[in-house]
Amino acid sequence: MSTKQKDKKAAIIISAILILSASLSLLCLLLPDRGSNAGDGYAAQIYQDGRLLYSIPLHDISESRTFTVENAEGGVNEIEVRPGSIGIISADCPDKICVRQGFITDTKLPITCLPNRLVILLRPLSDKAGDPPAPDVYTY
Amino acid sequence: MPIKKLTVLALFTTLSLAIYAVESAIPPLVPIPGFKLGLANIISLILLRNTSAKDAFLVLIARILLSALLFGQALSLLYSLAGGILSLLVMALVTKLLHKKMFFLTGALGGLAHNMGQLVIALIVTSTPGVAAYLPFLVLSGILTGLFTGLCGEYAGRYLPKPY
Repeated sequence: MSTKQKDKKAAIIISAILILSASLSLLCLLLPDRGSNAGDGYAAQIYQDGRLLYSIPLHDISESRTFTVENAEGGVNEIEVRPGSIGIISADCPDKICVRQGFITDTKLPITCLPNRLVILLRPLSDKAGDPPAPDVYTY
Repeated sequence: MPIKKLTVLALFTTLSLAIYAVESAIPPLVPIPGFKLGLANIISLILLRNTSAKDAFLVLIARILLSALLFGQALSLLYSLAGGILSLLVMALVTKLLHKKMFFLTGALGGLAHNMGQLVIALIVTSTPGVAAYLPFLVLSGILTGLFTGLCGEYAGRYLPKPY
């Protein structure tokens, strides 16, 4: 096989890898949110250092309230829970990407504060399969 | 290392450090952790194209260590090293396979590898499997920004004289 043909083959394989992974990702992003047809809403789960700190059923929230979460090194995030949504409203991390992510209402993208190792994600209340063991604290 | 080569590589390190500094001063276009344009990667691509993978590696490591020293936190060093080294390994391999042609493919695969490396570190640091939900977004943004830096590297490299 000549060098030119080999080049062509390598280029085709690399393009195929790129196109395949890009289209799969696009499909994942465009696919309807899992649990959007589950009538009983979502639980917001707040993780720090991989530990589930709170699990909050969002449909039980009738008025907004805020609370803070602090990690072992003193990193602080202020979280606001609203009826049906949750977000970080202030943080002491340098980039504030977690605050700019705003409020989430579905399972698509979690909110992450990497410097404070805090993750907030929604999970359909009907989804029991993916549930980790009982959280440290329940809030209602 | 000959003085001329040393000087040229130092110059490229300075350039990539300057690009990195300018990019970090721009607020992120999309508020997703891990998303960035990765413009400093253009320097790696120019070096891969016009000199060697070894030079690109030296400049990359110097740039990551210097940027962590100048404006980083300890944590961002870990992310940069994982993403940067994985990306450069993949790009060096692709450069060899394609005989320094079609740099947009090299850039795209490098961008993809960079984001995958960073996602693995994010999974380890947060120890929360839910972080993997960013995967499709990071795959797409890695490929798109990589295509762009790949094209930049190709055209910049084409018009630059042989460095040494």
